[in-house]
Amino acid sequence: MSISIWQIILLTIIAYLAHFDFNSIQLFTFNSLIWGLLAGLIMGDMKTGVEIGATVQLMSLGVVAVGGASIPNYPVTAIITTAIAISTGKGLGAGIAIGLPVGILGVQLDILWKMFNGWTAIKAQKYADEKKYGAMQSMTLLSTYTAGLVSALPVFLSVAFGPSLIKAILDFMPKWFTSGLQLAGAMLPAVGIAMLLIYMPSGKMMEYLLIGFVLSAYLKVPIIGVSLIGLALMYHAFKELSKKSNAVVEKTDNAVTESNTMIGVDEDE
Amino acid sequence: MSNETNDQTVLTKKDLRRASWRWIRVGISSFNYQTQLAPSVAYAMLPSLRKIYKGKDEDLRLSLDNEYKYFNTNPWIAPLIFGATLAMEDKDGVETLDGVQSLKVGLMGPLAGIGDTIIWAMLPTIFGSIGASLAKQGNPFGIYLWVIFNLIVLFFIRSREFEIGYKQGMKFLSTYSDKLSIFTEAISVLGLTVIGALIPSTVSFTTPLKMVNAGVTLKVQDILDKILPSMLPMLLVGLFYWLIKKKNWKMTTVIWLTIAIAMVAAFFNVLTV
Repeated sequence: MSISIWQIILLTIIAYLAHFDFNSIQLFTFNSLIWGLLAGLIMGDMKTGVEIGATVQLMSLGVVAVGGASIPNYPVTAIITTAIAISTGKGLGAGIAIGLPVGILGVQLDILWKMFNGWTAIKAQKYADEKKYGAMQSMTLLSTYTAGLVSALPVFLSVAFGPSLIKAILDFMPKWFTSGLQLAGAMLPAVGIAMLLIYMPSGKMMEYLLIGFVLSAYLKVPIIGVSLIGLALMYHAFKELSKKSNAVVEKTDNAVTESNTMIGVDEDE
Repeated sequence: MSNETNDQTVLTKKDLRRASWRWIRVGISSFNYQTQLAPSVAYAMLPSLRKIYKGKDEDLRLSLDNEYKYFNTNPWIAPLIFGATLAMEDKDGVETLDGVQSLKVGLMGPLAGIGDTIIWAMLPTIFGSIGASLAKQGNPFGIYLWVIFNLIVLFFIRSREFEIGYKQGMKFLSTYSDKLSIFTEAISVLGLTVIGALIPSTVSFTTPLKMVNAGVTLKVQDILDKILPSMLPMLLVGLFYWLIKKKNWKMTTVIWLTIAIAMVAAFFNVLTV
């Protein structure tokens, strides 16, 4: 391997920027091409970098991190693959054999980092309660600026110490630990939803909770479909409630009530 | 309540721009499994809320606590909601917090559905395949095209959504101010319907357990699904609701409990993603 120290540093920096950008400004979201190009520039062979970026891009088409799901870290794959393919001269195949597993290893790190964010979130809210707004903001920014490490760390380790170290790390982690992390990630949203239920009038309006659940669990209606039915129910509730409040105001004149309700819904006078 | 209402709003275009850039800066980086994007929301809103609740510390605390509740949607269109909730709070203060919460919860589902489909799935697929096919021929132009497109969207749409949401929110509020309490209650209906759908769609784990009975292997998950699909996620949410509401458990304790359950369950292979 012939990767010089400054190349390792630059590759680590662009890996940091890739994940930082993905989590904040999102200028290069889901764009593996650009990271292949930049890694190629650093390694002195832009053409190969662009080619590898394109291959990784095509691999990742349609794989999207929806709702905070953790997906393989394709920018990391593009950067490592480019670095290894160019430095060993063995081409795309050799690079991707190492780049892809590391990108998948990135998922574990991503889950760990999101759990760390759970801690910063609790701290930030505590500071907000204590009116320590500076500390509150610092806790949130701690999440923002550690995001990049999720990509920088695996790229640094694999280009500086070679793929054997990454393999050793992967082998070292017991199966129950990695699957336990994923399981915890899948179970933890239940905490947030339970908190939401406590703050919403869920006891008074239990029926709507049940409707949403049945639509999604039994009928597999996508969230937009559920929302449309929710909108219909909301409109109905709105009409009923307006009717009730109009009835109170104008209980003397029942005939006017109905026409008023209609006007009240469409365009209020 | 009507005494609290004032027509003297304090937020200016500058405040809203500032909130926009704060949101873009932290983005989804505060994502956590419990409250998802809530810390980013609170961060983005802080200066505006401090301005609205100047000299009313307790109101500010209540409002910030509200922002720290579970929130998740597509980050590119989320500020439309925040602009509208800022308009509500700017106009009527803490009186509208229930409405703010219901609006956020009610709209986060639909906006996530639309945003994730168009912005996360469609755009990267279109630009990604254009860029990749050009790049395969050694032409990096497709890469620049994608970046330029994102820059245009960033500066001309994403940075202005707070203003759009705020303006539309204000328009709505001045038209329907007398119907606001009814609206708040009605939108809770939408919110709860969406939460009901969130349980099976975001809490996703199953059991790989099998029962062998007289040579016949039965998958426990199949049996559970026949009784009630997503039974395990629903029971978990129910358990947490009960622990927090009735047993006064702290959220942190519940989180540690979850991680412990997950590790043990993974070790014995009782539960899986």
